[in-house]
Amino acid sequence: MTTLAESAPATEARTPLHGGGSGRKWRRRAPLMPALIFAIVVTQVPFIATLIISSLDWNILRPGSRRFTGLSNYGTVFTDTRLRNAVLNTVVLTASVVLVSLLVGLALAVLLDRKFLGRGLARTLLIAPFLVMPVAAALLWKHAIYNPDYGLLNGTLNAVWRLFGADQGPTVDWVSDLPMTAVVVALVWQWTPFMMLIILAGLQAQPGDVLEAARVDGASGLQTFRLITLPHLRQYLELSVLLGSIYIVQTFDAIFTITQGGPGTATTTLPYEIYLTMFRKYEYGEAAAAGVVVVIGTIIVATFALRTISSLFREEGNR
Amino acid sequence: MSTSTSAPQQGAAQAAAASTRGGNAGRKQSNRGMWLPYAGIALIILYCLAPFYWMIVSSLRRTGDTFETDVIPTPFSFQNFIDVFDPKNSFGRALFNSVLVAGTVTVLTLIIGTFAAYALARLNFRAKNLSLSIIIATSMFPGIAMVIPLFKLFTDIQWINSYQALILPAMSFALPLAVWNLTAFFRQMPAELEQAATVDGCTQGQAFRKVILPLAAPGVFTTAIIVFVAAWNEYIIALTMTNKSDYRTATVAVTFFTGTTGRDIPFGSIMAAGVILTVPLLIMVLVFQRRIVAGLTAGGVKS
Repeated sequence: MTTLAESAPATEARTPLHGGGSGRKWRRRAPLMPALIFAIVVTQVPFIATLIISSLDWNILRPGSRRFTGLSNYGTVFTDTRLRNAVLNTVVLTASVVLVSLLVGLALAVLLDRKFLGRGLARTLLIAPFLVMPVAAALLWKHAIYNPDYGLLNGTLNAVWRLFGADQGPTVDWVSDLPMTAVVVALVWQWTPFMMLIILAGLQAQPGDVLEAARVDGASGLQTFRLITLPHLRQYLELSVLLGSIYIVQTFDAIFTITQGGPGTATTTLPYEIYLTMFRKYEYGEAAAAGVVVVIGTIIVATFALRTISSLFREEGNR
Repeated sequence: MSTSTSAPQQGAAQAAAASTRGGNAGRKQSNRGMWLPYAGIALIILYCLAPFYWMIVSSLRRTGDTFETDVIPTPFSFQNFIDVFDPKNSFGRALFNSVLVAGTVTVLTLIIGTFAAYALARLNFRAKNLSLSIIIATSMFPGIAMVIPLFKLFTDIQWINSYQALILPAMSFALPLAVWNLTAFFRQMPAELEQAATVDGCTQGQAFRKVILPLAAPGVFTTAIIVFVAAWNEYIIALTMTNKSDYRTATVAVTFFTGTTGRDIPFGSIMAAGVILTVPLLIMVLVFQRRIVAGLTAGGVKS
């Protein structure tokens, strides 16, 4: 690792370490090409197609009406109240899910970064929600937890009320009354393990000698955490926020399953709105333009994510 | 990691706690510090698992008892698990489709991904970082933005309701995941391994095949599990590229369950389907927990 990694950044461009004839170089590169070409074809080509479609006035219900309209679809995306509402919902949903699951994930990671009996089992059980099929998780929350008649929440409320002598607890229809909160809680449940794993990796990459030194110097646990662990974790926290945002922005199945974007448009996020525009209104051009907006937003966030990832890798290499 | 630095007031029990490398709890730990984390962990595990428990309980109720809220269903009934395989749901077929699609995606992804990851971890070439960036960026593309042109394309070439229409797009999500994970694994291996093999007369290809690949087997295995889970969970492609129940995967099929009359929702069947879809995965996770955690945190963990 050492020889390769240390010399890589500086000398890479001028004198490839594994140089040789250009034929040899290409033989080395060949194994990478199928993956690279495949990734580009499957994602970039559709994106270019999306760009082209986004400039067309194209509704499949009006055959022969396909024509070039320039940027007018984008005008619709930014002026249409439904779409603006969808953008707002997306931001609210993503921000709340990311922040809450980050905080819970940090607490979990700190708890798990110590040895105790059954730590492996606890860790496994904690990552379970992340590995469960999102659709199944959404159905689980919708029917088993939020259902007003026999969901776990109202069941628990009932039990507590009966404990205090009342007949019946309040019957709350969680999904209709608090649609956004319901979706956020379900998603937080699902994404906390993801945040926890990244932060836990950060905690375990902490150099032990520094912590030992802090302890010898008499720093309290809280001081060590605030002054040493937290700054060390900064990169990992950034990474969790960025990756979390990128994936949570795309959330579709939870919305589709739990609320269908409703009631009204209270939980209609951009991906779901695109789906509706495409498969209910058949406005391909408009849907494509909204899709491009999502992609550009994602690229902006992803640029920051990639920068964080590559700086993490550089650190690894320098070790 | 000596415990000799500990203050005298720390008891024998605490020596164990102090031997954790983190030692975040510090030395001012009292007895409170011992049970508090346990209580916290117990609470959080409850939070993570209570929904699962309720799903299992709901699936075991008799159809007529759906509205019961007892913690333990009495009497037990497996009727929901029989109902879920009713031909009108085509759930059996959907399960088969899911296994087929996720399995094919996993195998193809691993073959391509291993080569790509090895190249990215070991070789130096000018566009290396750009390549890695493009591959990772691919995984961040919102699926919905890809669906529009793909749907149009697959309609034109009559791939709607076909397995390849499900497998190819899913690979574009799975491949970056595999490449990212395997690159981290290959980077962890000392380069001296191949150098030694080359000195002993292996070509680079042989060194890869005979030295690196066997050593990377655990990493490849972990990646296989993660890729399989990702493909198994895929929803939006499977929803939009099919409109016949014959080609629906289990994820989509379960949202299309219908009750005996048009309006009622078959809660029992849905919960049973949920159990069938999640519990095997949960058991697999339990069995392979060490490898999965190692895989998910690959790149961050120093070993």
